Amino acid sequence: MSPKKTTLPEPAAVQPLAVNTRKLSRVGARPGFLDYLVQLWDYRHFVFYDARARVLNGTRRDRLGSAWLILNPILNGLTYYVIFGLLLHTNRGIENFLGYLVVGIFMFQLSAGAITSGARSVHNSKSVVQAFNFPRATLVIGANLRELLMGVPMILAMLLIIIVLPPAESITWRWILILPAIALQFVFNLGVGLILARIVSRVHDVTHLIPFGMRAWMYGSAIFYSYDRFITHPQILALVKINPLFNVIDIVRNCLLYDTLPAWRSWGILSAWALGALAIGIVFFWRGEETYGRS
Amino acid sequence: MAAVEALVRVEGHPCVVVDRVEMRFKVPSTEALAADVQKRGLARRLKRRPHTVTVRALNELSLVVERGESVGIIGRNGSGKSTLMKLISGQLRATSGSVLASSTPVMLGVNAALVPDLSGDQNVVLGCLAMGLARPEIDSRFDKIVELSGLEKAIYLPMKSYSSGMSSRLRFAIAASLDPEILLVDEALNTGDAQFSDRSKQRMDELRAQAGCVLLVSHSLGTITDMCTRTLWLDKGDLIMDGDPEEAVKAYKDFTSHLSKGNNISAARIRSEARANLVATEIRERTSGRRKGAL
Repeated sequence: MSPKKTTLPEPAAVQPLAVNTRKLSRVGARPGFLDYLVQLWDYRHFVFYDARARVLNGTRRDRLGSAWLILNPILNGLTYYVIFGLLLHTNRGIENFLGYLVVGIFMFQLSAGAITSGARSVHNSKSVVQAFNFPRATLVIGANLRELLMGVPMILAMLLIIIVLPPAESITWRWILILPAIALQFVFNLGVGLILARIVSRVHDVTHLIPFGMRAWMYGSAIFYSYDRFITHPQILALVKINPLFNVIDIVRNCLLYDTLPAWRSWGILSAWALGALAIGIVFFWRGEETYGRS
Repeated sequence: MAAVEALVRVEGHPCVVVDRVEMRFKVPSTEALAADVQKRGLARRLKRRPHTVTVRALNELSLVVERGESVGIIGRNGSGKSTLMKLISGQLRATSGSVLASSTPVMLGVNAALVPDLSGDQNVVLGCLAMGLARPEIDSRFDKIVELSGLEKAIYLPMKSYSSGMSSRLRFAIAASLDPEILLVDEALNTGDAQFSDRSKQRMDELRAQAGCVLLVSHSLGTITDMCTRTLWLDKGDLIMDGDPEEAVKAYKDFTSHLSKGNNISAARIRSEARANLVATEIRERTSGRRKGAL
């Protein structure tokens, strides 16, 4: 048994110390919003290095190594082709269904992967967060960058499939337009990831809901069916048409498969979603800066 | 109520100011659950909530550490030493009160976890980037870090293949590569073999010579009297003594030797005497000027 706390006497005296605190700052205090953005820029090397190192190491355990970065979406596409193209015939009325499907799956995969790992990034890096002081948003940016790097071979595979497999499409200048579309998609993923990362670090249960959310989102993005054929309800159709991921996929399909310029409306909707999500995401994440990694 | 001494002005800018900091944890306890085990029935089982208890890790504490001081912290296990260090380094946020510092304190400990999937050299670069170093600075320090860690060729292996001693050596080496103004050391000297402890002690001496102030937690009382100019004795979250290292270590040794002989009452008396002679600190802010980062 150890001595009881109640027996502890009061200190003999209290010595008031007048301290000049003007040059001191509170430890772990959240910086101002603009300072935070500057800090993020200062930590860009950390973000790049983290993303690159993890991509290179991610598949080291597998025998086929980085080939899985391409094999994964191809196998995924094949499964959907067999189910929806050959068995359920949702391909009716769609010109070049294989291309339609491949673009849908690959582009959706980019967002699904980025949003999921962005949402988990802060929680998964708890040990690094507790060990070092750095702006936490770098973790979410790093996760998104990692997914984008992993997406590069995926996009190349997608283009290859479209060129090689019949009906083969020819390369036009419009193919360049997929780059701004992917850039906007990246910004959107980052914004959503930032919002979810703060929520997940607070209420971890949300990670279990993310896969369901992504699946529902996938069905709402017209990946393996033609939206104007299968959706008859006008409100739901309107909802699909303002879905940012549907717009990304639609833009890419128009550029790669149908050789038409994507409508300004699609670009407008996508840009609004992307910038809106990023603006809300970064402010929302910054406001929780002091809470990450603390139990 | 304790007597209040005359106000003393602390000249210049202190390094660390701990202002009425208090830390409580709410944790689940299985103590009551074990008693409930006999109860049967689904309704009862659902009603059974994990009981939470409040652990008072650190009672209200104020402290001013001036430039040039090295402060040793001693106390039994669970006395709040490490909690105090984590509060100062910003890893924990105090339940109430605040910690002010003139620059970001750097904690040299064995807790700083890194990324297990990456190799040692990648972790060195990543850890340094996370501490805010630029690439050229890292390149110039890299060899010194590897040398201090003593890992040699093993630096190119993944961290998850390291023994616990190896990874704590690497963590120490990475954290020690900074030349911080405020240095916190938590038992870092006690890890690793004899060869490493010589090297790390040497690096510690260099750091201490350069740092503005050092706070050191150690169970090795010899280290405390060797290195420190001032010593705090904490017990069960209360400050018992604050003063000369020789006196504090002597009183603490007395206390623990009585305890280990089972003389709880005389041990409590020693502690009460020390506490009754304590002059507690109270922080008065001197400037009305705006403080950086204050909320």
